[in-house]
Amino acid sequence: MHTALRFLTRIGGGALGWLQAWGRLLTFGARALVETFTPAVYNSATRSVVLKQIYFTAWQILPGFLLFAALLSYVIIQIVVTTARDFGLSEFALEVSVRVVVLETLPLLTVLFVALRSGAAINTEVALMNINNEIRALEDVGVDPMRFEFTPRVIGGAISVYALTLLSCILALILAYIAVYGFQPWSLSDFSRVIAKIFTPTAFLTLTVKSLLFGLAVTLIPIRAGLEAPRMLFFAPIAVLRGMVRLFFVIMFIEVASLALVYM
Amino acid sequence: MERAPVRAPLIKNLELKVGLLLATTGVLALAFIVYVLYARGTFQPTQDLILLANNAEGVTIGMPLTFSGFPIGQVKRLDLTEDGRVRIHIAVPEKDARWLRTSSQFTLEKGLVGGARIRAFSAVLSDPPLPDGAERELITGDATEDIPVIMARVKAILSNVEAMTAADSSINRALAHVDTVTGRMTGDYGVLEGVLGGPDKARKVVEALDRANTLLTSLNGISLRVDQTLAKADQRVFGSGGVMDQTDRSLAQVNAILTEVRESLKRADAILLAAQGAADNVNAITADVKGATTDLTILRVEVDDSIRKVNHLINEINRKWPFRRDVELKLP
Amino acid sequence: MIESQPEAALVSVELPLRANLSVLENIAIVPQYRQNLSYDVAADQAWALLARLNQTDCAFKRDPSLNCVERFVAKLLRAVILQPPIILIDRPAMLLPDVHYPPFLAATLQALEGEYEDCRILDYAWNAPLYAPR
Repeated sequence: MHTALRFLTRIGGGALGWLQAWGRLLTFGARALVETFTPAVYNSATRSVVLKQIYFTAWQILPGFLLFAALLSYVIIQIVVTTARDFGLSEFALEVSVRVVVLETLPLLTVLFVALRSGAAINTEVALMNINNEIRALEDVGVDPMRFEFTPRVIGGAISVYALTLLSCILALILAYIAVYGFQPWSLSDFSRVIAKIFTPTAFLTLTVKSLLFGLAVTLIPIRAGLEAPRMLFFAPIAVLRGMVRLFFVIMFIEVASLALVYM
Repeated sequence: MERAPVRAPLIKNLELKVGLLLATTGVLALAFIVYVLYARGTFQPTQDLILLANNAEGVTIGMPLTFSGFPIGQVKRLDLTEDGRVRIHIAVPEKDARWLRTSSQFTLEKGLVGGARIRAFSAVLSDPPLPDGAERELITGDATEDIPVIMARVKAILSNVEAMTAADSSINRALAHVDTVTGRMTGDYGVLEGVLGGPDKARKVVEALDRANTLLTSLNGISLRVDQTLAKADQRVFGSGGVMDQTDRSLAQVNAILTEVRESLKRADAILLAAQGAADNVNAITADVKGATTDLTILRVEVDDSIRKVNHLINEINRKWPFRRDVELKLP
Repeated sequence: MIESQPEAALVSVELPLRANLSVLENIAIVPQYRQNLSYDVAADQAWALLARLNQTDCAFKRDPSLNCVERFVAKLLRAVILQPPIILIDRPAMLLPDVHYPPFLAATLQALEGEYEDCRILDYAWNAPLYAPR
């Protein structure tokens, strides 16, 4: 009886803690979003943090990422086109490959890449800032750490993910054209027709919202995870680990939810 | 006051780089939106075309209206009228509207593979162009729906052929062939072949009909020869020579003529083979429903005609060959 | 936009510098954030303060490569540039472990005369003999 009670208490406590963590994350996200649209937040200092975040998250990886995205999309498009031709469905090849690559694969790939690189970095930095008491130090000299360190990172991260997604998607569209029609401009009207069919307002909106949500998740969750770490140095790896796992699940959830929304 | 020697020690041209990235992204995003809007025909003046159908199953918003395989319009809206019919609003860009004439026909087809298609047919491009907001009937042609109809038509043709072949076994055999054909048509392969068929079916049908006509001409020739033979037989039977003496010989001649008739029946068999070819072609036409129905009607009329001619010919042979019954009576 | 100034700015071993910013940036960030000054203007102010203490050499160093004096100066200037009513130096012995700090503090504050309103030093009673009597 006593053991059962203790077991239940532990489960309840765990669930409550879990819920509270997500609740804090949502509150934090809401606050960051509100601050994003508060003009007073944008001063010389925060702007420079936004710029740096975009520089580190998007600019630094741009050539490598675009090259990788181009290679991967070209391979996927070629596979789809060849397979479709074998089954006599070549009229659907372009549509299928664009849907697979541009609407699903590239946004997911971008956010996973950014999560692995910048997400992990932000998580570590915030965890260390928190452990070192740098956050208190900033508060003490009258700099709101939320406004100075976190919101700008969220904004910069979201913009970066969106920019990377957009650039890689447009590159993939160009590659899709070349893969399907070859290196000539005369099939542009056929291509346009397929694009018009795929990019309905709903599809466009879904892609944009999905990409922005990815961008928010990839910064918000690591920051929150870093802040939640107890202020002891050995908790830093645990904070990063928790943040990354949570980030992975949120990314997958957003992806699956967007798929369900579009195809059901 | 002394000045800080280096402004931004960590990153060179931070603002420039980020600005470049953001500007590129913004310009590309905007360009892409404009391109998609253009591709969706937002900037093209369009005219309305309303198609009325009993059933709009398979019609979706954004579906193209094709003319000769080229999309010239898009379904914009679907609604239901008071009397339960479907109004399909189609936007046709003004530059493509010239392909639509007052005499144009519109069909909705559903194949076994792929989605439904709305197609426009303009036979006479010199007719006045279709006005804006015109309402037209949409002829629904579903390949799967049409197969039973085509089958019924083929069966009707077959019953005509049966009338022709009532007395003779050789044509019955041919009929068995046609039955096999229809059996094949009901099978998976026949139908699939039909749906994915080739373009030269019309030519083949016409060829088959030509051959049938040639055969009829030659059958006429045979009947002339039969007439001549009958005249000769008349002479022999009712003339000065002894009838009973000549019976054996005339019977031999009867045999020869019967052989000839058998020959001609074999050629009729060939007609039916051609008809079978035609039936296969009918199969091939199912995708092109409109063409199929027209061709099929012509084919049916012509086949009916041929059958009538052959019937007439056989009646004539029966009439002009009085010995037939006599011989049969005598033989047992 | 000038926000209401905090009561006191603390210079303490428990309030470190921002680790990924240089000394100059750590100081400049305060007017940048609080008064929305451009980086150039804020950096000039910070530079001027550093120059008054002859510590411009460490302007572009970051926290781990600073010695105690440089770190202390950076923290102090970060407080000074905020212009609070009181600057509180918390236990200078911990901030300046290898410096005879009372005269150093006096000299430093002397050099910054006019840049701050009031400065108090919080130290243990047993260190009282180190300070010159007032």
